[in-house]
Amino acid sequence: MTALRARAPYAGVGLLIAVFAVFFLLPFAGLLERGLGDSGAWDAITSDSALDALVLSLWTSGISLVIAVVAGTPVAYWLAHARFPGKGAVEALIDLPIVLPPTIAGVALLTAFGRKGLLGGPLDDWFGLTLGFSTVAVIFAQLFVGAPFYVRAARAGFASVDAQYERVAHTLGASRLRAFARIVLPLSWPSLAAGAALCWARALGELGATLIFAGNLQGETQTMPLAILSAFESADGLTTAVAMAILLLAVALVALAAFWLLSTRGRGTA
Amino acid sequence: MTLDFGARTQLGDFSYDARFEAGNEIVVLFGHSGAGKSLTLQLIAGLLRPAEGRIAIGGEAVFDSATGLDLPPQQRRLGYVVQDLALFPHMTVAENVAFGMTGAGREERLGGLLDLMHLAEYRDRRPRSLSGGQQQRAALARALARDANLLLLDEPFSALDESLRVELRRELIRLRSELDLSVIFVTHDLREAHLVADRLAVFDAGRLLQFDGRERVFRQPANRRVAELTGVSNILRGRVAEARDATLTIEAGGSSLRAPVPNGWRPGEGEAVDVAIRAERVNLRRLDPDDPEQPNLVRGTIREELGYGATHTLRFESALGQPVEVEIAARPYEVLGVAGQKSWTLELPPEDLHVMPVSSESESGAPRASATTA
Repeated sequence: MTALRARAPYAGVGLLIAVFAVFFLLPFAGLLERGLGDSGAWDAITSDSALDALVLSLWTSGISLVIAVVAGTPVAYWLAHARFPGKGAVEALIDLPIVLPPTIAGVALLTAFGRKGLLGGPLDDWFGLTLGFSTVAVIFAQLFVGAPFYVRAARAGFASVDAQYERVAHTLGASRLRAFARIVLPLSWPSLAAGAALCWARALGELGATLIFAGNLQGETQTMPLAILSAFESADGLTTAVAMAILLLAVALVALAAFWLLSTRGRGTA
Repeated sequence: MTLDFGARTQLGDFSYDARFEAGNEIVVLFGHSGAGKSLTLQLIAGLLRPAEGRIAIGGEAVFDSATGLDLPPQQRRLGYVVQDLALFPHMTVAENVAFGMTGAGREERLGGLLDLMHLAEYRDRRPRSLSGGQQQRAALARALARDANLLLLDEPFSALDESLRVELRRELIRLRSELDLSVIFVTHDLREAHLVADRLAVFDAGRLLQFDGRERVFRQPANRRVAELTGVSNILRGRVAEARDATLTIEAGGSSLRAPVPNGWRPGEGEAVDVAIRAERVNLRRLDPDDPEQPNLVRGTIREELGYGATHTLRFESALGQPVEVEIAARPYEVLGVAGQKSWTLELPPEDLHVMPVSSESESGAPRASATTA
């Protein structure tokens, strides 16, 4: 009797979990059902526009990730250790793009780097350099929304490494760089890898800011999400959009799986 | 190997000022937590920079405020074992130990060091899977791997149980003679300090109160505070009635005590002094305390008694006007029949009395309850 009564609430929770799981799995099932059942899907994903978009998405998001890691790592390390007044404000500012709606990010980027923007204006006037509506703008948009994920995770990772390890490494003759490479990096590696994966995924999926700041030009600024949006709005509509969505999903899964394998192996041998 | 250390600095409310030197010996920095012991090690290692001073390792300056010299930690040749050991958790024992090694023959030297510290069979294990004593030895091996002859140890045995501590202390004393080391050893444990120290530096509130050979510190504390810190339970306040040749006569509470003139200091007649005697040095006698032939006899009555099994601690109300603590072993306690008698004659042998100046050091700040009145 008591056993039955004790189980009752768990049954309720179980049902809730099942419904929640179906909610998340059903859209993927729908995507697969629609895409695989349609003979036009293969043509759609092998079209020039789809392949152009895929290639553009992959290399721009890759560059965004590299910039985020190269520039974000020192920032994250500094934030993890420095103590100064207004540190909370600086951290909030870095986190801001995470919570900012992407369209606002796009408008903001335009007002800064667009042809009439704060920095974009002088660049255009003096050097004839236009950032807006170019591939550079695509990378800017991806960096703006993606890098905070990396910096945030890396900062937490660095902060979790006991400063005593570094101090001891110094007393054992290690320079700052060597202590970082041999002690801090291996110990914070899981956080850095997770942050990098999030940053890359966010950059790959970037739509709103790119659309406003970089536009939607095939081969130049049309990344996969934009291509899917365009396809969805065109005549044959859903078939192409679904096919491209499956392609992007597959590429993202493969990339993340490869990344995960690399990072866990890296952890094992570090 | 030698260390010449002198530094002065201010950290918030805490002011620090100490100077001492070490040769081929174990110098124990002793004091309560917050006295400045660990700070001293950090200053030597270069993890903290003093405001003023000069620090030289093996005759070569690593810090000198006069010339602006301040070598970073990685350029100071020393081994430093921090209190929590901080073994690198992602490395094996061998990788940890080899971390600070440079130059040729690394593999050979690593093997030798692991053998020396009885770690050879654990070389491929991670620190987490080692026992406390093994971790301790790994940290020690890592610090020694730099081939430094100056070793800084911060409460190195504090996390271990008593049997391991004994073993590691023995190992340390063996290492010192085998490897020609100068060791600076921080502890707040009086017994540990006594066991490992060649020389003892007593720290209190950022000041080095006394730096002397171990026996000298224990037998002839520089002042009341050092006596308190080193476990002297009887510190009697008195006044010099007569100073003649090598003997002082000191009045305390209407009784008088004879004591030798201390080394390097001669109090004048009428001067207030502190007289220290360890509890285990006071004898219980059945003599008449007023016998003029017998000096340093005082009447006392037992007011409190604590039995520790092997020893008994008796607290007397005495004719000195101040309480006197006596420690007596279980055997004489029984033979004398202390349990059945409250009133005794206390003998304070002159050679066990140590006269100290009433220093400003012990008078300043908040009044401290001395061990005799606590």
